[in-house]
Amino acid sequence: MKRALSLLLLLTGLALAPLRAATDGEVEARRTAMELAGAFGNDGFKLRDGVALGTLEAGKPKLVQVNLYTGNEYWFSLAVDGAGKKVSVSVYDETGKKIDAEPYQDGVTAAAGFSPEASGPYFVKIELVEGASAEFCLLYSYK
Amino acid sequence: MILKLRIAAGSLALASLCASAAGQDATLTKEEMAEAIRTDDFSLPTPAELMVALEKQGKLDWSAKFRPPIATNYPSRAQLALNLGSLVADGFVAVQAEDSQQVKNLGKDILQLAKNLGVTKEILMRGSSITDFAENKQWDQLKEELEATQNEVKDSMHMTKDGDLVTLVSVGGWARGVEVISSHIATHYSEASAKILRQPAIVQYLNKKLDALPDKLRDDPKVKNVRTRMIEIEMIVTFPRDKAPAVEDVKKLAGLAKDLVNDIARKDSK
Repeated sequence: MKRALSLLLLLTGLALAPLRAATDGEVEARRTAMELAGAFGNDGFKLRDGVALGTLEAGKPKLVQVNLYTGNEYWFSLAVDGAGKKVSVSVYDETGKKIDAEPYQDGVTAAAGFSPEASGPYFVKIELVEGASAEFCLLYSYK
Repeated sequence: MILKLRIAAGSLALASLCASAAGQDATLTKEEMAEAIRTDDFSLPTPAELMVALEKQGKLDWSAKFRPPIATNYPSRAQLALNLGSLVADGFVAVQAEDSQQVKNLGKDILQLAKNLGVTKEILMRGSSITDFAENKQWDQLKEELEATQNEVKDSMHMTKDGDLVTLVSVGGWARGVEVISSHIATHYSEASAKILRQPAIVQYLNKKLDALPDKLRDDPKVKNVRTRMIEIEMIVTFPRDKAPAVEDVKKLAGLAKDLVNDIARKDSK
């Protein structure tokens, strides 16, 4: 049911994309990222509706700021379309220090999970490690 | 699949440690952090995330956090947008309370406010989904639906060149969430729960967006008041990572947030 709902949300979201039509690469990246995030749903993690989309180039990582609450657990799930080969996700606190997050990496998907010790801003670093420039989708789940 | 993830995660932990040992990506520079991507629907947490964090400190009676119904028609679009955000936050409270009727009532009000803003068409389907999920007590789906509803309203605003109102929806939702949580912590104080209230970057982000509004919107009396209150709120939710705010500060925050939300909902006579 949740998978069906997620798919419905995905399709509805894409149909109502605000400023431009979604590219094929974005659709693929988003579908793959949602599949990955769906696995965390089995552990009780709730998927946020918001996503970060864009293009990743090798050697040019992107940082996305999030605001997290102590007491919660989070997983950040990243996927790129088939042009990319390998990606990575890491998390940093507001002082710029890397967080010791639980890593996951499998080709065009990667994730990082952790429980923040303090509420406040954090930075999710996403990187294309191998492959050609690719569309990415970053999601997060919490519980 | 989760098992596969866990196994893969375990085997990759070593690789991660090796990378750390090599000193790669150990720190970010201030410049890198300043240039990070920030968006409303990714960088701003939903009220539900705040509520889930608070619930970790112990069960609470969410139905005690309900407020009387607010108006669904206001003279200015700014005020409509602010209240739309606060009503969505009310929706999250009702879902936490697992109160179907309250969710359905709020769903109707959200729809009415959206209609008055001219964005009903896009969320009509959402409205009926909210009712269906509420009747079937599908609370997790309702949280997703509420967030999706808010995001679609914001998307619609962007499409209709009402993008500036998006900030006000975000502010309204965040303010109502802070009111609910801080008032609870103020009366059931513990250092652990008070630490949840640390949110400096959220207020800075919202204040920056409020400052960037067009003059006409910024001069709206309700928006003017919001800007004043948000500056006061910023001072309280900005505290060191390893400290908790004192109970007096939490009470002050609860008071400021309550005044802000009440002012947003009040229909001023001209």
